Amino acid sequence: MSDIITLQNVSVHFPVWGFLPFLKKGEIQAVSDVSLRIGRGEIFGIVGESGCGKTTLANTMVGFVKPTAGKVLFEGVDLSSLPRQEFKKVRRRMQMIFQDPFSSLNPRFNVYQIVSEPMLIRGEDDEESMKARVVELLEMVGLSSGDLYRYPSDFSGGQRQRIGIARAISLNPSFLVCDEPVSALDVSIHAQILNLLLELQEKLNLTYVFISHNLADVKKLCDRLAVMYLGKVMEAGNSDKIFAKPLHPYTQALMAAVLNIDFSGKREIAVLPGDTPSPIDPPPGCRFWQRCPKAMRGCKDVPPEYVEVEEDHVVACHLVNGFPKTELPDGYDQPLVRSEKTVKVRR
Amino acid sequence: MEQVLKLRNLKVVFPTDYGLIRAVEGIDLDIYDRECVALVGESGSGKSVTSQAVMRLLGSPPSLVRVDVLEFDGRDLTRCTEKEMQEIRGKEMAMIFQDAMTSLNPVMTVGRQIDEVYIRHEGDSKQAAREKTVKALELIGIPEPGERANAFPHQLSGGMRQRVLLAMAFACMPKLIIADEPTTALDVTIQAQVLKTLRGMQKGCGTSLLLVTHDLSVVASIADRVYVMYAGKIVEKAPVEDLFIKPHHPYTVGLMAAVPTLTDEKKKFTQIPGTVPSPVNKPSGCYFHPRCEYATERCRREMPSLVPVGQGREVRCFHPLSVEGGKSSE
Repeated sequence: MSDIITLQNVSVHFPVWGFLPFLKKGEIQAVSDVSLRIGRGEIFGIVGESGCGKTTLANTMVGFVKPTAGKVLFEGVDLSSLPRQEFKKVRRRMQMIFQDPFSSLNPRFNVYQIVSEPMLIRGEDDEESMKARVVELLEMVGLSSGDLYRYPSDFSGGQRQRIGIARAISLNPSFLVCDEPVSALDVSIHAQILNLLLELQEKLNLTYVFISHNLADVKKLCDRLAVMYLGKVMEAGNSDKIFAKPLHPYTQALMAAVLNIDFSGKREIAVLPGDTPSPIDPPPGCRFWQRCPKAMRGCKDVPPEYVEVEEDHVVACHLVNGFPKTELPDGYDQPLVRSEKTVKVRR
Repeated sequence: MEQVLKLRNLKVVFPTDYGLIRAVEGIDLDIYDRECVALVGESGSGKSVTSQAVMRLLGSPPSLVRVDVLEFDGRDLTRCTEKEMQEIRGKEMAMIFQDAMTSLNPVMTVGRQIDEVYIRHEGDSKQAAREKTVKALELIGIPEPGERANAFPHQLSGGMRQRVLLAMAFACMPKLIIADEPTTALDVTIQAQVLKTLRGMQKGCGTSLLLVTHDLSVVASIADRVYVMYAGKIVEKAPVEDLFIKPHHPYTVGLMAAVPTLTDEKKKFTQIPGTVPSPVNKPSGCYFHPRCEYATERCRREMPSLVPVGQGREVRCFHPLSVEGGKSSE
């Protein structure tokens, strides 16, 4: 299986401007030093809380955002090295499905205009064939030709998301980024849209990047996944392996936070204390140390390295990999005793 | 057990240019002391309208509200004047809204917004109110409550803002709190935090809670009793454990199957076909029949009534299922 997307040490930093112009206050490290590969025909999940950089990472993959450092290779070609015309050609093969079907469709366009717009931009001008293609697309996503001249306001959330999907596949892309495609939808519609995505993937031989904060969806859908926290990948690899044996404390906490509906066990809510800290100038060590229930003293200052614990399962955690053999602070492997203040907070 | 809320035959309609929207069609609701009751349904099921009608927040126009009995803590709310309602709201009955960013005032510090509750309802001075506010924020688990009270809503994270709303709702230790989708806008980890706080506060303060949500996993983790709503009617009512172990209504079964869990090994998602009917143009007979795989001729013609099945359970279906372990034995 050849890789469709390869990320090599990709970082995306956004400057934070101060009151005076040209005076940089700091940097939001939305994505820092991420290396991943996504195979053809794969569904690749990116999981994490809001603010962890998952959307920025996906935007970098399709070229919406230029990486500050590192390279994004699409089928082996570096996107940032391409001249504009060439980039546009490649860009057609990658499309996006957005989170909010209410704001991602132009309310003044009818369905035909929405779905045919990418074709118009490509330079197609044969009205007849375009209409036939739009009808074909609508049928593929479970709408009908009767919906052609209706407006987004006539549709429910689930149907709008279907229109968004039809638009995304209109140019026969090979790579599709789905940015939380179901989180704005009702539970009973959830499954319909996810099943549609699965069906289309099989039919059109697509590769998906599926962004979500719902681990249960990711488990069912994805072949491989990356768990992100504050711009860094914490754990990545084969989905079955990660779910069978989550090694990073953050992955474990995320999995514990998924609420259950079966009543076999006790009704208990597992809680990971604290909030995601600000991504402006984050600490040099492990990004998760402040909330990590198993943090050690060294975690704060020594950045963990990525270690492949088994085939296609990479973890960045001192607990799993041990500390590197360089200069270490004293008592680095002792459990971290949080300061008085933090202890008070956790009560 | 003391009854906090008694609602009988609530009907809410919205006359529009396209026809009459029957948002709620005859709902009975009982909430007892120290109980957490969940009202579950998808968007358009009328669950939010019901909760607003209980607080008498629905303006008329645009809405028309008919209710036979609306008793809160032994008082008949239908006879209360607007002024009396203002005394009750916030003090004896409080609401937590879904989107904390839009329900907090962006140009006031969160502390001042909580102070208001004490000043308005308990007649406190500004200083006394602030002291209570800081205490309330601390109780709800906000770190450095004294400083946080001077923060504006945009300076707080989503989970923190939701906690501020919790602190505001619990400020006067009301008898009943209505939480309208309190965790929908939050991340999973933050959702767990907020739910735990909410349940802890509810048990600790002895309030009753009406939880309005579409998320069955939230219901399973904190509710005691559940009402399932569909298209303006209650389709099933049951204690939470009974409901999840043995759901009777096909809609409840479908909703439960639609919640993905980590223990599920299947690769396909279980779905309910079709969509929620338009509120202007509801189907004949049972409102769920177009999406129901067990529908018969009778379901297409008649609306089933809510009939008791077992203790504390009612179901609105001609062919109630008895499902155990996901298999139907009908």
